[in-house]
Amino acid sequence: MDIELVRFMFLLTVVSFYVNLALSIYGVIAKPNLVKKIIALTILQDSASIFAVLVGYKLWRPGLTLQPPVLTDLTPTSETLKEFVLRSVDPLPQALVLTAIVIGLAVTVFLTTITLHIQKHFGTVNVDVIGRLKREEVYEEVI
Amino acid sequence: MDYVDLIFAMMGLSALLSVVATALAIRSKDLLNAVIFSSVQSVAYALIYFLLLAPDIVLVYVAVSVGIYPLILILLIKKVGRYETKQNWEQLKGGDV
Repeated sequence: MDIELVRFMFLLTVVSFYVNLALSIYGVIAKPNLVKKIIALTILQDSASIFAVLVGYKLWRPGLTLQPPVLTDLTPTSETLKEFVLRSVDPLPQALVLTAIVIGLAVTVFLTTITLHIQKHFGTVNVDVIGRLKREEVYEEVI
Repeated sequence: MDYVDLIFAMMGLSALLSVVATALAIRSKDLLNAVIFSSVQSVAYALIYFLLLAPDIVLVYVAVSVGIYPLILILLIKKVGRYETKQNWEQLKGGDV
């Protein structure tokens, strides 16, 4: 186990997640198209949930092989449970992330429906143009 | 080269791939290209989830994020229009709005 390579690659992974987070926040805020905003929002969601999984990860030590938090033994004794706790990663963030992915799917479908209604009403999904159109409507009502 | 090194090397390289795919997805003007790049990013993330020892997340994440998100977004793009254009205000006012 080359500890320098492992440290460098893990640092590279974490920095890449931060860069992804920053890029997707930029996409949500600065891009005027609503479909582009939805795409950036899904990337933002995935980056946030991968940070949660990263919290539950465990340090590799020499002589210790990690395993996923799945207990394959149907009638475990206390020794096998001790071994399991020593080896497995934390299952709680994984359960939370599993729920978050499914909820994110529902949110995306909802946003898609809203975008379709906006397209039907204004004829465009560009946020700048929609703002101008709404201002024009208000102005005509006042006059 | 130990297999732990291999795990971390694959993790770092797929994280780099996901950064490239995210940048291209945010940057491209063609929305269909953006959807495809975002699913490439999802494939990289699925590999990272697997290497972070979360195989039960991978089962859900691949189906949702590589299958259902692009399906929904492609149907939306079919209704909305493929290219992200800078619409001219005067042209829009004279048009059919």
